Amino acid sequence: MDDRRRRFEAQALPHLDAAYNLARWLSRSPADADDIVQDAMLRAFRAFDGFRGGDAKAWLLAIVRNCWLSAGAAARRRGHASLEDQELVAPESDPEASAIQAGAKRKLDAMIAALPEEFREVLILREMEDMSYREIAEITGTPIGTVMSRLARARAALRETARDCL
Amino acid sequence: MSCKESLQTQAYLDGELNGADAAAAERHLESCAECQVLANDAADLSDALRKVVRYRAPDTLRQRLAKALDRETRRSPTRSFWLGAASGGGLSALAAGFALLALLPPSAASLSQSVVDAHTAALTRGKTIMVASSNHHTVKPWLAAHAGISPPVTDFAEQGFELAGGRTDKVAGNRTAVAVYRHGNHDVDLFTWPDRGGRLPETGMARGFRIAFWKMGDLDYAAVSDVDAAAFQKFVDLAKAQRE
Repeated sequence: MDDRRRRFEAQALPHLDAAYNLARWLSRSPADADDIVQDAMLRAFRAFDGFRGGDAKAWLLAIVRNCWLSAGAAARRRGHASLEDQELVAPESDPEASAIQAGAKRKLDAMIAALPEEFREVLILREMEDMSYREIAEITGTPIGTVMSRLARARAALRETARDCL
Repeated sequence: MSCKESLQTQAYLDGELNGADAAAAERHLESCAECQVLANDAADLSDALRKVVRYRAPDTLRQRLAKALDRETRRSPTRSFWLGAASGGGLSALAAGFALLALLPPSAASLSQSVVDAHTAALTRGKTIMVASSNHHTVKPWLAAHAGISPPVTDFAEQGFELAGGRTDKVAGNRTAVAVYRHGNHDVDLFTWPDRGGRLPETGMARGFRIAFWKMGDLDYAAVSDVDAAAFQKFVDLAKAQRE
């Protein structure tokens, strides 16, 4: 096996689950997540010679996010002038949905999925992937101050539901 | 949330602050009811989120990816050593030998490396302890609130390992809870993090430090220190024997 492939497998592939988890939560679709991750891993492999050490996980997750954006999510963005000003509220639960919602856990799941992208990605990166503020800022191309306020608002939006899960 | 320090408190709870900033945030937290609510909520949310699915890449994707990388490297399909290690039907003994050799180092070596990095970085900063206490009733809840996990914490002062405190630290990108012990002039760090099913490295030496790994309950443990072999083994035995 050539050296580049070996280094790639040693450094980038251990983060495949993290890449998939991010893609899955961003796209909210198993099929899309598969395509995004495969695309991202190939791009990462091609660009791997340019990767000079550092945190391979953050580097890879940034590529995953870019692939997700170029996979068409950007086109679907609804062009809110400022999402920061938008109120983050729980989606109205219709009677049928509440019947399906066997527990608070499922509701929490649905609420994360319903968060606007800007908030969802920050929450997933911090709470599930344990990325630092700086890493999240780099991955999402957002100032650290914005990362902090988005994280605070995402957490506040989930507070009630989270309490019901415990 | 109207407290103007709330983002700073959040940063502190997320382990983003050091030194004077962390101390200031800790002082503020002690006196601000609103930020205390924030701290409790953050801990509750972390607990709840651990019950939410963290998706894992499906095997079909791993296989697709291995094929795509094979095409990319323009080689006849070589069994990718860890993608295919579990399904080694057609492997020759020789290839299996190579696969096994190759399988061991990456994750294991990097995890050992990462634990020792965290340990030495804390020693270098002179900041191995974020909460100083020999009382496990103080250290354990602090770790629960700050690292989001609640490992067993026991003072082994009578056996020569005095509980000195705790901190949160990062190992391979993941948040861990660290109980810090003193043995003479030496620090012993006991790292814990939620077991995500990954392989743990062998016990041994890394860059001059002794390091041991084990799993217990739903947590992974790593002990690291530069104490001598006998003392290290004694500590590991004590730590393995402790109960909630």
